[in-house]
Amino acid sequence: MPETALLSSASAAPGPSAHPASAPAPTTPQRSLRLGIAGPVGTGKSSLIATICRAMAEEIRIGVITNDIYTDEDARFLRSAGVLDPERIRAVETGACPHTAIRDDVTANLAAVEDLEADFAPLDLVLVESGGDNLTATFSPDLVDAQIFVLDVAGGGDVARKGGPGIGRADLLVVNKIDLAPHVGVDVEQMVADAVEAREGSPVLALSRHREDTVDALRGWVHQILAAHTGGTHVPQDPGPMAPHFHAEDEEHAHSHDHAHPHEHAPTAGR
Amino acid sequence: MALLLADSRLPVGAHVTSNGLEAALREGLAPDRIGDYLASRMQTVTAVEAGVAVIARHLVLTAAPEELPGRVASLRAHWAARTPSRAQREIAVVLGDGLARLAAVLWPTILDAATVTAAPGAGGDAPVGPGGDDPGGAARAADRRAPARGLPRALVLGLIAAAVGIDAPALVRLVAYDDAQTVIAAQLKLEPSDPRFGAAQVLAACAALDPEVGALAALTDPAQLPSSGAPLTEHWAEAQATLPRRLFRA
Repeated sequence: MPETALLSSASAAPGPSAHPASAPAPTTPQRSLRLGIAGPVGTGKSSLIATICRAMAEEIRIGVITNDIYTDEDARFLRSAGVLDPERIRAVETGACPHTAIRDDVTANLAAVEDLEADFAPLDLVLVESGGDNLTATFSPDLVDAQIFVLDVAGGGDVARKGGPGIGRADLLVVNKIDLAPHVGVDVEQMVADAVEAREGSPVLALSRHREDTVDALRGWVHQILAAHTGGTHVPQDPGPMAPHFHAEDEEHAHSHDHAHPHEHAPTAGR
Repeated sequence: MALLLADSRLPVGAHVTSNGLEAALREGLAPDRIGDYLASRMQTVTAVEAGVAVIARHLVLTAAPEELPGRVASLRAHWAARTPSRAQREIAVVLGDGLARLAAVLWPTILDAATVTAAPGAGGDAPVGPGGDDPGGAARAADRRAPARGLPRALVLGLIAAAVGIDAPALVRLVAYDDAQTVIAAQLKLEPSDPRFGAAQVLAACAALDPEVGALAALTDPAQLPSSGAPLTEHWAEAQATLPRRLFRA
């Protein structure tokens, strides 16, 4: 397998930076970091959560909320995986509206997150898995502080190039199952390069749970964003429901606008 | 205000329930009998919910402040006694919590006065309810919950109605409309048909309850609440809770 760049981006590390006065406030460091996992069905969201739990459950206190279109299959999968105390994994049923439950009306999910935080206080990290849906589903920043969008090589090497709110502007894009790339005829490096371009330099992680180096990179990213959250420098950002917009070449980057987009010339908060 | 509370786009997490319709269809209810299902709900479970909402509203408007939490807790017990399906009680409290979350932003003080000791486990006069027979879940959660949680939706709705000026007949109609619209909205996912006919069925169901609106709106004493059983509706509510590969949690 060709050596693949692990965390590919121009400025991958979340770090402090000056916020414009009109920017949203940083997250509340006193409570857990709420990290959303979105992405199309079958790309490995549950598996990614299991991987994070397996790699980090000894280091930090984790809870999990799953969202299923059907019943609580994902919660049961994660409980049976044995990577976390089963009581710390709870299911939210979305009434066939996984979009609604993570974006338009987060009532059920927010209540579940707060209950979990209260029942197992203090938690460091609550992972919220979206119901597997499609390329347009992203989390409301009112529900999660940061989000990972998951694609996989088996879904086709061209998906990353298509862009969309999750691919373009989630805090991290994971290209999953890279161990399968030779079997499905996908050039991982090209797919990652497409993704980096679609994301204007925000981080992309080529991942296989069977490759320890990639799992370590994932673990490192989670630690970084957790540190930014705990340090009070992380600002939740909405990937948005809309297609990416582009600034004119000669626009002055005065940072007077308050919407989120990464810049290659400076470390951006929470990225 | 009633229009706002009747809007299915209200962010209270209500889209997760079909009011048992999914299980009913799975167990053989013919789609062309959904109107009958709505009508029978109106005569039974919906009448109980509407009555609870009306009495909650009445309590806020008439009870002495120091008595209000206890009276609300008693009303909750009367509601639970007339809602024998645990699944129905659980979803009612989930939806009540969702509505209370919204109320906490829109009308921050409304629920406090009524619910200081109303949550299960929070006082000596703890009512029966979802917590009573589910010690691992709702009871433990209710014990440490903020006071405004753990109440069924109809009761929360009545408390809000008193504070925002919705009169009793409008409150009854609001409960009826919500019940019917919830079933029909779920039908459009489960057994799609011309949505205009669904709207007609909602109207027909509300019209079926109309002769009862006056009597329900006049209720003041929890002991007067209707208590007609609805065994098939309750069975479907229970069946829904264990339905494999379901779309709706209730």
